[in-house]
Amino acid sequence: MTISLSKKTFFITGTMALAIVLVFSTSLGAASIAPRDSLMVILSSIPGIGDLVDVSHISQAHQSIILYIRLPRILLAFLVGYGLSVVGTAMQGMLKNPMADPFIIGTSSGAALGAAIAIVLKFNQSILGFGAVSITAFVGALLSTSIVYRLASLKNRVPVTALLLAGVATGQFFNAILSFIMVMASQDVSSIIYWTMGSFSSRGWQHVSLIVIPVLAGSLVLMAYAKELNLLLLGEDAASNTGVEVDAVKRIILVVSTLLTAFVVSVSGIIGFVGLIIPHVTRMLTGPDHRFLLPAAGLMGGIFLIITDTFSRTVIAPTELPVGIITALAGAPFFIYLLRQTKKLR
Amino acid sequence: MGKSIQIKDLSFGYGDQSILKKLNVMIGHRTFLSIIGPNGSGKTTLLKNIARNLTPNQGSIFIDEKKLTTYSTADLAKDMAVVHQNPDAGVDFTVYDVVMMGRHPYISRFKRETDQDVSIVEQALKATNIFHLQERFIDEISGGEKQRVMIAKALAQEPQILLLDEPTSFLDIHHQIEILDLLKKLNVEKSITVIAVIHDLNLAARYSDEVMLMHEGKVLALGTTDKVMTTERLQRAYDMNMIIDRNVYTGCLQISPISVTKKNRVTRISVHVIGGGGIAKEVLQRCYRENIHLSLGVVNKGDSDAELGKKLNVEIVEEEPFCDITDDVLEKACLLADNAHYVILTSIPIGRGNLRNLLLAKSQLIKGKTVFLWNTYVDATPYDYVGGEGKKLLDELRTLGLKEYKNLDDIMDEIQQSEGV
Repeated sequence: MTISLSKKTFFITGTMALAIVLVFSTSLGAASIAPRDSLMVILSSIPGIGDLVDVSHISQAHQSIILYIRLPRILLAFLVGYGLSVVGTAMQGMLKNPMADPFIIGTSSGAALGAAIAIVLKFNQSILGFGAVSITAFVGALLSTSIVYRLASLKNRVPVTALLLAGVATGQFFNAILSFIMVMASQDVSSIIYWTMGSFSSRGWQHVSLIVIPVLAGSLVLMAYAKELNLLLLGEDAASNTGVEVDAVKRIILVVSTLLTAFVVSVSGIIGFVGLIIPHVTRMLTGPDHRFLLPAAGLMGGIFLIITDTFSRTVIAPTELPVGIITALAGAPFFIYLLRQTKKLR
Repeated sequence: MGKSIQIKDLSFGYGDQSILKKLNVMIGHRTFLSIIGPNGSGKTTLLKNIARNLTPNQGSIFIDEKKLTTYSTADLAKDMAVVHQNPDAGVDFTVYDVVMMGRHPYISRFKRETDQDVSIVEQALKATNIFHLQERFIDEISGGEKQRVMIAKALAQEPQILLLDEPTSFLDIHHQIEILDLLKKLNVEKSITVIAVIHDLNLAARYSDEVMLMHEGKVLALGTTDKVMTTERLQRAYDMNMIIDRNVYTGCLQISPISVTKKNRVTRISVHVIGGGGIAKEVLQRCYRENIHLSLGVVNKGDSDAELGKKLNVEIVEEEPFCDITDDVLEKACLLADNAHYVILTSIPIGRGNLRNLLLAKSQLIKGKTVFLWNTYVDATPYDYVGGEGKKLLDELRTLGLKEYKNLDDIMDEIQQSEGV
């Protein structure tokens, strides 16, 4: 049931789409800047070809808006969408579960609890330019996932069912604590909820530089295990009999995915839906081969999140909507449409 | 080519429940071994221990002297390929993709498939006769084809040993034979050691060099098909009555399951059957199924009723063919009939040779025993080759109280209703 585009067509179209989306989204916003101008500003900032582009006719303010406000935010959205989609794809493949997403093993509830604690206790300190909320969210995500992992492992093995159940149970437990905190500290409820819906509001280059290396390196590791992920689709026993160190591979994928997700969540909050839906949509286009699917899903996820973030900051400007609302609002109907087209959902 | 497997003191269990109990097995290289045994006897568990999908609690397994645990996962996959029961064959992959996955242990992480890999995959596709399907998606092909894809993937691993867990379950007879022919061919031509769990005893007997019969976590017997598949052993393992003979067409051992052994039911009824010429077969089979104690006679040696009776372990009184029934033989038959609760006379053609069988029935009627006639004569007239003498005798039996039925069910019903008496 796949359309099975060739790799070349997919990546050429995808990169072109990314470039167009990048230019248009940088030009959209409160200050109206022509797409042509934003393209030139972006080009001028690239080392090497920057000197060839003349940007003297564009006002300094507009240049600053693009380079220091819009561009980092857009790149961050791309990285987050890319990371979540790659991790979601790997999780769905490894767990052989179409409901899996980057948060399925308790990451989101841990991060949310961590963030809520920082918000309620009014931690205002920042370390290296990162707010306390980011740091506690990161720690919470790692903590809850490692609890889930510990609960699920049995004699050096991590059975998939145990992992899913431990993830659900731990998630519910952390959510209960979160609800308790929200009831107790009712004045902070809106900021907690806002955080759990995810946002790129007022994120800058320091956030990009924080996650760019973890996201790229993590996704490369996952892609290096693409063939193993393919084989795992035949069943763990079959994979093992074909030379896959099943338990080691699962552990590596889990650890890398968790770290990657924790980094992403710490800068963006919990953006749902991307990591669940983009892998499915991409799979319909490319087929199940992870060697192709993983980078393709990353590209799709990145583009998708740039578009939805642009919507979230422009649709009822100057108010910004949490981007998680837009991803679900726009993505769900589209996804259902695709499912019905491919007749998987009847 | 083709490596051997040695199993030493292998025990395996989940928690307290022990499934494999101290197995010691030697499987020679290039053997085609079938593992048979009832459900829960540990066949699949043993296979998974050999495949290293499960780790033994005790004991060890060697592949050509090399301990299984010292193998790296990739090296093991080069020596041994496994086809699991109802494989989860990633639905969206093409046949070619799945078979190419078999090359995984040979291709290092950041390398692409070489021309050699491609040609090995093509050979595997051809050997399993699915070359024409290579572009198709796995979920578009039939069960038999899917099974062949999994075998092709296993072949792409270029294994010395091929393990299969019920490769023919869920397949129709055509595809069962096709798969087993293929395995036999691989075993002979590529010298691969084949070890397969097979539920169908007849297929196991037909295709394997050696058979391993498992029962309650132990090896009940291991050896050539003829040695292992004996009535006594199979009855013990499967807890049922069965008959083993040779198939007329293939010449292979043929196992016919007859009835589930009813341990608790004591045979209380006994029936003496008067038959001949194959007419009593149905009565014998029916009584055997109903667990009724049987005796048969007088029949001629080599008569098909006599042959069946022997396989069913029925007490038989025989007479040489083409002879009249002698006094001596008739007396023996009378003794058997005396010991039985009922006598069933079948619609035998009455000739000189067996006329005295009717006298046997008569003597029983006189003694007050119930004698049934299962009347399957056309128009209810006996085939009489002795000039009316037989017919006369039969009429005499009728006046003595012979109970006549056209339907065997009626006779069986009447016999069984009296069971409690």
